[in-house]
Amino acid sequence: MQAYSLDRPERLRAHLARERQLYQVQPDGQGGRHWQLTSAGSLCDFQADAEPPPFSAKSFFFAERELLFRFDGGHFYSALPDVAAQVLFGLHACDLVAVAYQDQFFAGDPHYQARRQATLLVGLDCLHSCAGGFCSTLDSGPAVRPGSADLILLPREAEEADWLLLVASEAGRDALVGLSLDPASADWQAEREANSARVAREQGEQRDVVEGIAALNAGRIDAATWEELGLRCLACSGCTSVCPTCSCFAPREQADEHGGVQRERVWDSCLYESFQREASGHNPSATAGLRVQRFWAHKFGDDFKASFNRYGCVGCGRCDRVCPGGIGVHGVMHRVVQR
Amino acid sequence: MRVTPSICTFCGVGCGIGLRVEEGWVIGVEPQPGHPVSQGQLCAKGWSSSFAVDPGNRLTTPLIKEHGRFRPASWDEALQRVADEFGAALQALGPQGVGVISCARATNEDNYAAQKFARAVLGTHNVDHCARICHSPSVAGLARTLGSGAMSNSIADIDLAEVILVIGADVTENHAMIGARMLRAQARGAKLIVVDPRKTRLARLADLHLQLRLGSNIALLNGLLQIILANGWENRAFLAARCEDIEPLRRHLAGVTVEQTSAQTGIAAADLERVAYLFSHAKTAFTAYGMGITQFQSGTNNVIAVSNLVLACGQIGRPGTGINPLRGQNNVQGACDMGCLPNVYPGYQAVSDPAVRAKFAAAWGRPQSDQSGLTSLGMTKAALAGELRALMIMGEEPVLTDPDQNHVASALAALDFLVVVELTLTETARMADVVLPAVAFSEKHGTFTNCERRVQRIRPAIAPPGTARGDWQILAELATRLGCRGLDWADAEAVFDEMAQLTPSFSAMTYAGLDLHQGLQWPCNAANPQGSPVLHVEAFPIGRARLLPVSQVEPDELPDAEYPFAFTTHRLHFHYGGGSMTRKSPLLERETPAALLFMHPEDGIALGLRDQQAVGVRSRRGYLETRVHLTDDVPRGTLAMPYHFREAPCNRLTNGAQDPVSKMPELKACAVAVVPLAVGVAPRAQAGAWQESAHASL
Repeated sequence: MQAYSLDRPERLRAHLARERQLYQVQPDGQGGRHWQLTSAGSLCDFQADAEPPPFSAKSFFFAERELLFRFDGGHFYSALPDVAAQVLFGLHACDLVAVAYQDQFFAGDPHYQARRQATLLVGLDCLHSCAGGFCSTLDSGPAVRPGSADLILLPREAEEADWLLLVASEAGRDALVGLSLDPASADWQAEREANSARVAREQGEQRDVVEGIAALNAGRIDAATWEELGLRCLACSGCTSVCPTCSCFAPREQADEHGGVQRERVWDSCLYESFQREASGHNPSATAGLRVQRFWAHKFGDDFKASFNRYGCVGCGRCDRVCPGGIGVHGVMHRVVQR
Repeated sequence: MRVTPSICTFCGVGCGIGLRVEEGWVIGVEPQPGHPVSQGQLCAKGWSSSFAVDPGNRLTTPLIKEHGRFRPASWDEALQRVADEFGAALQALGPQGVGVISCARATNEDNYAAQKFARAVLGTHNVDHCARICHSPSVAGLARTLGSGAMSNSIADIDLAEVILVIGADVTENHAMIGARMLRAQARGAKLIVVDPRKTRLARLADLHLQLRLGSNIALLNGLLQIILANGWENRAFLAARCEDIEPLRRHLAGVTVEQTSAQTGIAAADLERVAYLFSHAKTAFTAYGMGITQFQSGTNNVIAVSNLVLACGQIGRPGTGINPLRGQNNVQGACDMGCLPNVYPGYQAVSDPAVRAKFAAAWGRPQSDQSGLTSLGMTKAALAGELRALMIMGEEPVLTDPDQNHVASALAALDFLVVVELTLTETARMADVVLPAVAFSEKHGTFTNCERRVQRIRPAIAPPGTARGDWQILAELATRLGCRGLDWADAEAVFDEMAQLTPSFSAMTYAGLDLHQGLQWPCNAANPQGSPVLHVEAFPIGRARLLPVSQVEPDELPDAEYPFAFTTHRLHFHYGGGSMTRKSPLLERETPAALLFMHPEDGIALGLRDQQAVGVRSRRGYLETRVHLTDDVPRGTLAMPYHFREAPCNRLTNGAQDPVSKMPELKACAVAVVPLAVGVAPRAQAGAWQESAHASL
């Protein structure tokens, strides 16, 4: 990987924003942080915040609600998005692994791919662990994983030191044309290893998670345990909304006043009772326990690991934060292991 | 994408949300991280809010009914029609002949404008809203015992409680973020006690579930209190310092035995004693209750019985304690606070007080009537008697949510003129002569007040559909046409400022202050400029609190040979009110169960019913058909139905018998009979429906 020294990440940002729509996480002044359009001339700082934003970058590619097609009674009209070149600036390693995971799931989806192909991904290594993360345990961070980003920003322990910029793809290299950068002199490999070791220490052993995954795959979690967990699931859809790898959607059809129909697709949640209910009323996942079990099997099942070459959980901890029932990933794994 | 901070519009919890907007379209909703109430979480309804405000079936233009059909009309024509009709009614019957039903979903600004419109423009105190059918007994009961009907404490006090007592509230489903907070409190060691005739989710997770017989609340609360008094577990220091004499209550309860209480409520004596011990010995006990206390003909006395128990144990006036009625709508607290009640002006300033009337007459420049106003059910009755001619309903759906549907529908049909201000063409709007399209919460500025008295701002995220207008702007236009310019505010903040100026408990509140503190809890005045998280710390509004003797009152209608089942109503986590917003979500709509009548499996066997089989349900007031869901959520002999669904509107069955004090109808208990329909037959949605064609006046 080519490595450069970068005096200020804002200089790179301004360069990339010249020919692309650039998005960066910014605070909203009300306690929230969101991916926001940021202009080339923006004066706002770019900060290496260890906390990922409450929402991952999922919705940039797999839209929360989108029109799929229109039908006017005779013809179908595609609603394929026309996406201008864009760049996501400062994605954490965990969220990038999730994008790579979704890339596999939506490999044949033209709507997803139209957005994805138009996007340059600029990753950000973490120097410290975020509050609830456990990327070290799940091989998804804190260093941006090879192949998951086009460019990687590497903040430094020493605040006055220049940032480092790693080129991680051809698209990344092309994007730097016209930006003057000096080659890096620091031993960036050693720094990344030290960062990873530090974050792993901060995140600890994660014994509940490790043992919980083993128990799940060994079939050692009984139905009664799943039902106890299911009783705490309100089916709010929070976890599936914030999970960066959740990909379920439902169709929504609306008739227009001229006899036509438009079909939207909207984020769905497998925790809803009706998610798998069949027209006859039969439901293969009729109980809340079965549905909670299925959700976690998708995140930690070895079968899924075999298909996607990794677990479906990237260790961001967002489900812990949004779950009103206290059965986000740590809640579930703790209860499972305690039995 | 832009994210506009706002407040969820479903229940009274008041969760902080961000509206995610793309190209003028709310594509989603996210929880506001670090919000003092919701702490970065939401329930299923909150997460689905984007569909609720979808332009899909929103009204975009005023509608006028001609020959039984609606036609689009200009604002000018529609407003003039409304003004003319109200003018005619006023001329014919005077101010008592017109009324306004305001809305617990609308903002404080809209509600302030609604009661000002009624009182200053129409000259009547005939203004009410649906608090009548949720917490009017709390307002009445707690006014008698404490002097204030709102939650005495804050939601965050749950974090400080040793014991959490929940009575008649399905908190994880209806106030999910409060339920979640209770579960977190239990996980850190608090004892969770749930009193409910149904095995709710929270009841199943509780340390103790008292599954009382439907309608035996006072027997239970009196029984618990008598155990406490008999053992000397009451808080004597608190009683001596803060309450009036408990002796009359002590004498009233002297004859009550544990065995009697057990027999009346169906709860084992040991459980009664354990709960009495835990509640009285806890350093901090947080008491929350819901419709399972208020929606009875004994609603006010039920509230008083809760208050007696809490006062006797001194579990109020400190952090981690309190009497906490959980309010239903996002702004039902605010609609009450704003004076959309026939007997009070904003801030509960009594209409009966000549000085108060004089103050508002001077401020508004309009004489104030000394004739008492009608409640919403009073207006229904007056309409049937021909004594109320013109009615405005803002955003409420009484046809689905009031008791005895056929009665309500025929009352609305008996009016000379009905105008409904709505987002969509609801069942109630269909009965109107004129329908005016309103803007949704995502399209306007304003404030909502959650159940812990926290006033919070909402902001426009998108443009309204078509020509829809804000409620207070509509009222201002009508006022002008009726010859009163007093509602011509420049913006929502100006409405708020006028209200705060006339309302002592809001006197130090401003929009800027609300922004700074993530909302402020009233009273917020010179003495409490940062608001008041805990009430009654030093004294009660009436000075010393009152412990008032009350006795068990059975439901008006008990099961008998003809109607053998006790029948109650409830709500589902996924739906809200009449479903006009939640049912627009394809996901929440999909969650609607096919079977809506909840019945114990053994009752099912006794009737020869299979799960999901179609049944007819009949009460003395109406009939409907649905499918039966066999579940041990309900005990034997008791049936329950959620009230969200127009296909099977359970309020066609419920009883209009009223609490004599608050006029709360007894929505929570009546008697029904169940008739199995043949296997394979589908229930008919229209069976038993009120027929418009059957009505002579149309």
